[in-house]
Amino acid sequence: MIILRRFGAPLVGIVGFLVVWEAFVRVFDVRKFVLLAPSKILSELFNAPGFYWDNTLITAGHMLLGLAISVVVSILVGAVLSSSRFAEEAAQPVLILVLVTPWVAYFASVKQWLGLGMSPIIFLAAFTAFPVLTFGVIGGMKSADPAARELLASVDARPWEVFWFLRLPAALPSIFTTARFALGISLAATYYSETRMNRTTGLGAIGSRVEFRPLTAAEVLWTTVFCTASLGILGLVAISAAERVLLKWHASQR
Amino acid sequence: MTALSDIDLTAEPGETITLLGPSGCGKTTLLRMIAGLEPTSIGTISVDGSSPDVARAAKRVGFIPQSPALLPWRSVRANAALLLDINRGASPTTPSVSVDDLLSEVGLADFADAYPHELSGGMQQRVGLARAFALDAPLLLMDEPFAALDEITRTDMRHLLGRLTEPLGTTVVFVTHSIAEAAFLSDRVIVMSPRPGRIVERIDIDLDRPRQPDIENTTDFFEVTARLRSALLEGSA
Repeated sequence: MIILRRFGAPLVGIVGFLVVWEAFVRVFDVRKFVLLAPSKILSELFNAPGFYWDNTLITAGHMLLGLAISVVVSILVGAVLSSSRFAEEAAQPVLILVLVTPWVAYFASVKQWLGLGMSPIIFLAAFTAFPVLTFGVIGGMKSADPAARELLASVDARPWEVFWFLRLPAALPSIFTTARFALGISLAATYYSETRMNRTTGLGAIGSRVEFRPLTAAEVLWTTVFCTASLGILGLVAISAAERVLLKWHASQR
Repeated sequence: MTALSDIDLTAEPGETITLLGPSGCGKTTLLRMIAGLEPTSIGTISVDGSSPDVARAAKRVGFIPQSPALLPWRSVRANAALLLDINRGASPTTPSVSVDDLLSEVGLADFADAYPHELSGGMQQRVGLARAFALDAPLLLMDEPFAALDEITRTDMRHLLGRLTEPLGTTVVFVTHSIAEAAFLSDRVIVMSPRPGRIVERIDIDLDRPRQPDIENTTDFFEVTARLRSALLEGSA
């Protein structure tokens, strides 16, 4: 019964959504560029599976590399910031600034700075996820049990020991929660930056450039949208799975 | 603000001293000063001949905080061994008791692989005791470790603590506001009074050792508790 509810309910939701979508497109005869029916997306996917698979992998690689860099940097920066009230308060407006400034607007400058390789894409994927992750790290590290900190102090624990034995594990639940948001932002930034580079691979590149398949441009666009969304869902599932393993001890996983 | 004033106190090796007093009498502050967790503005504290900071760096002091402060992501065994994993250079090379022995001593052998959330409050604090004893430190400082437990568990815990300290000859400074705990565990009770925290009376507890739980039903024990109670009342008057 529980299994039915856990997997059955979301499945019903998705299938229902696809049915309504398909019906809507057919009944109102929506132009395919505006909205493509899910059945057409599926047939496009089956016509060229290798093409979409390869490009999805490339986008996934960009996003994961950017996210990995961002996680490492935000843990280091967050650890420093959470150990000083002043540093944290000084950094807060800067992080918020990074969070709210539209990356769409400054990406041209990033390209100027980092050139035409894949570095601008990786940079944007990492940079956009950074503020969210850092907030998660700071919040999590500050939630470490003060009595446990005192206990570690009573045996003269070094700062790195407090970080490794107490603050990092204590921050994990909050890092996982913010990682979900970071993934969404980072995926959008990756797709967008791929559309803006002069490239031929990656979901953003193929979705935005009709010259690859002029006759089926709408199909390609919507199928890349589909692949990008699937990539995001897969990422969220992976985060939940990692959480199940690493946070067995936490109240959220019981 | 003066938290403590005119404190002159020496603990003999192997002695159990209890600081007994109402809230705000500075007993916890004094304990934290001995642990090197709080600076002293005037006066000196010496632990085994050195300053509290030196003793802390050498892991010569086992500290038991009010809450068990277990790390929820570590198993019971890993929690009991936590202080050995930190500042490893100062860990005892051949501890006189192993972590597993301590866990069976506190009755948690079957829970070594469990996680803190699976334990009751009393069991969690027993892990806290094992964790402190695992250090094999000559001095243990305990800050009302049983304050959050129910009366029955609390009674069991003081009996357990008595059983652990007596054979090891550990010096213990114990902070509490429980008269029964002070009477059962101590060789000497230091009665303190608040604002500023000062010593109002030093009472030797002459009950025979080793003390068994049933000592609490004797007239001797009753007399000791009555004496402590009146000292406590006088101090706060």
